[in-house]
Amino acid sequence: MAQVALKVFAFLLNLLMLALGSAAHAGDGSSAQPPLAGMVSAMDHQGPRQAKRLKIGIWNSAGNITTYTIGNSWNDWLLWLAFDKLREPSPYGGKAGNWLATDIRRVSDDARTWEITLRDGVKWHDGSAFSAEDVAFTFDYYRKGPINRWTHHTSALPRFEEIKVLGRLRLRVRAKMPMPNFDLITAADLPILQKKQWQEVDNPRAFTGLAIGTGPYRLVEYKADEFYRYQANPDYWKGKPLVDELILVMIKDPQTLFTALKSGELDGAARSLPPELVNQWRDDPDIEIAKAPSLWGVWLDINLGRAPFDDRDLRQAIALAINPDAMVRRILLGMGTSGSRGWPHVDSFWTRPDLRVGYDPVKAKRLLKAHGLVDRDGDGWRDLPGGRPIDWQIKVASNRPLLLRAAQMVMSQLAAVGLRAHVQAVDPASLAAAWKTGRYDFRVMDITPHGLADQDMLALLSKGDNKRALAPETEKEAILNRWLKADSRADRLKISHELQAYQNAYPSRVMLWYPDGYFAYRWQSYDNYASSAGYGIFHKYSFLPRPQRAQVVDELTKRVD
Amino acid sequence: MRYLRLVFHYAATLLVALGINFLLPRIAPGDPLDYLLGEETLVALSGKDRLRLMAEFGLDRSLPEQFWLYLVGILQGDFGLSTHLGQPVWDIVISRLPWTLLLTGSALVLALTLGSLLGVLAAWRRGGFCDVATMAGVLFVGSLPPFWLAMLLIILFSTILHWLPSFGAYELGAVPGTLDWLLGVGKRLILPVLALGLVQMASVLLIARSSMLGVLEQDYILFARAKGLSERWIMVRHAFRNALLPLVTHAMVGIGGLVGGALVIETVFAYPGLGSLVVGSVMARDYPLLQGIFVLATGSVILANLLADLLYPLIDPRTRIEG
Repeated sequence: MAQVALKVFAFLLNLLMLALGSAAHAGDGSSAQPPLAGMVSAMDHQGPRQAKRLKIGIWNSAGNITTYTIGNSWNDWLLWLAFDKLREPSPYGGKAGNWLATDIRRVSDDARTWEITLRDGVKWHDGSAFSAEDVAFTFDYYRKGPINRWTHHTSALPRFEEIKVLGRLRLRVRAKMPMPNFDLITAADLPILQKKQWQEVDNPRAFTGLAIGTGPYRLVEYKADEFYRYQANPDYWKGKPLVDELILVMIKDPQTLFTALKSGELDGAARSLPPELVNQWRDDPDIEIAKAPSLWGVWLDINLGRAPFDDRDLRQAIALAINPDAMVRRILLGMGTSGSRGWPHVDSFWTRPDLRVGYDPVKAKRLLKAHGLVDRDGDGWRDLPGGRPIDWQIKVASNRPLLLRAAQMVMSQLAAVGLRAHVQAVDPASLAAAWKTGRYDFRVMDITPHGLADQDMLALLSKGDNKRALAPETEKEAILNRWLKADSRADRLKISHELQAYQNAYPSRVMLWYPDGYFAYRWQSYDNYASSAGYGIFHKYSFLPRPQRAQVVDELTKRVD
Repeated sequence: MRYLRLVFHYAATLLVALGINFLLPRIAPGDPLDYLLGEETLVALSGKDRLRLMAEFGLDRSLPEQFWLYLVGILQGDFGLSTHLGQPVWDIVISRLPWTLLLTGSALVLALTLGSLLGVLAAWRRGGFCDVATMAGVLFVGSLPPFWLAMLLIILFSTILHWLPSFGAYELGAVPGTLDWLLGVGKRLILPVLALGLVQMASVLLIARSSMLGVLEQDYILFARAKGLSERWIMVRHAFRNALLPLVTHAMVGIGGLVGGALVIETVFAYPGLGSLVVGSVMARDYPLLQGIFVLATGSVILANLLADLLYPLIDPRTRIEG
């Protein structure tokens, strides 16, 4: 009797929580709130606004900084130091402004054809003039050449079918399908290559030289896996950068990286501080900590290629059994946003503001029971309808302690609804291989802004899900097809919101949390950083004169806690 | 004839080792593509694109074909291109090798010198305070995980005292060969050498001590004492020289162990040697780079063992007769 009363009470409590949650967000506008950026240190010092040289620690290899050696979006900002895009800063905020382009105009009703006018007077690092030939070459090279992290923009979403140079600074592109967000996504993500340098390169992955860009910094020296040395480009069209030389040192071990910053051997660490260090260093007189939206996230990936996860109602039950709020409290010490806000990233312009994945273990149990997942052998754990015991594996990278803790919490939260699972820690490459071969039930992993805050990627990832799924999900497929055919920005956003609602109701990826980005630096070396959503504070805009960066960053002028 | 047999024996070992070097990275789950492009990109690839990508890295060929190309490459001195660093493997390996040699060599010298000295001292004063103190110290230091010892050293000497740098092998920006640069190299060598050498020293000390104890019980030592020779003379000329053999073996085998230990130490100190390179390459499943490093490491160990085999007869005449 007491148990029944407890269940009824829990159910009512959940109802109340859901109602309160909905009410709290009923007043949200049609787009996400701008994320907070500012100082979190006890003191906000006023250090130098220029510097001769800065030494910044980085943690991930980027080869010789070309689009073919940077494999994922962890290191994008290293590339952007030397390269520019048509519009900047990124596709994530939905507000990219003109950069190398002065005008990007849709010239057909079906949004398939766009014309681009380029900025005059821009020079490549070797002094030669930037022109429409370079942009056309870049699009074509990405379309036909080896695959990299950016090529999907020209070969998949959207898929270009014609690239035509109309003049020295004008060109036109046409795609197979509508691309109503060409100016905000494609143009804001594609680095522009120099035709003169790359037209001779048949195999870009074997190219070992120093790439030439139009950006504020020239890569002048690098030692594989050791360091990169950038020098300011004095002729940069946006003005001479404020720091003459940037030395980026590779330190993969986070302990060593942060210790080197603490001891004064580094001027900054381009890796988000762990929550424990934020509290420890808040009062450090030599170090300042800035909060900047990182747009990263951690999710629980469910294998759609394995039964019974092809059952979308079962996935819904699993999502309802996960309590991300508890993870944020215990693992992040409150320094992040709960994944209960769903996928994509809560701070992305493209995200539907009222998205929710409720924590509701009572409903989860009801759904599980309705699907025949009950304890048949009396061992206290649910079994599959056929009687086979359940013991799902949650794979996680062994070098990620926070994610390991998350996997353990997922395990215990699943146990609370009678589902048995165990954590399996493997090296990162094995984790990637598990995804490729489909040998996993769940994975806990983190995702970069590219996968979490870009509308095109949401569609691409969903298409990928469809390819891997055991059972087709016709409702999802229909939404995707409508999305692909939508020819206006508003329509596409509306359909994207439908897709997001579907994904969160029947998730293939359950968001666990979005970490806050905390970035530490020594203010006496340089104190002129700014925040750019998705890049933190270490990016090229932090080294540009203030008036020149006004449209692309948020200055760290306010205090946030 | 004996030497010819020896060389043939080592050549066969090398060939088997090359085969293992080739297979090891491929046995591990995953391949270079997973790291190079990331899941966000791979998820959208069509089957045709995936095949194209595999062909780019030669992964579409059969294993025997890949092995043959690998052997031909080695014979031609072409180790291929690192998949994740985009540089020729040989260039990377050769630029890293001196740092590993410097680090492991210094650590080995430290471990051998200090370890044998303390081992001899402990054996000489067996049961005394010196013996008990060194044994307790050895058991403590030897049981410390190297990365933990490294972190302790960094916290003490870099963060608290600010005496020594915590990462790297040289001062970035200093001109190679200048005094500044050399001083930078020296300063950056101290902590990793201590971390690596102290742990190795423990085993050297134990071997030296037990070997000395064994020798000190021999009749010829008793005879030397009966002749009235000084204890110091007996220790150096008679006992230590004869106790040296197991230490030489250990030193040679230890070279391999040091490279293994360097994996962790180089990673913690961001030291640009082969050890930290291996860690990064394993994560990236960089087959060509791993093969290149393994070839070098295997070659070094085989060469060290060959040297040990050649040195034995010079040190111990008994092995000459047996041979």
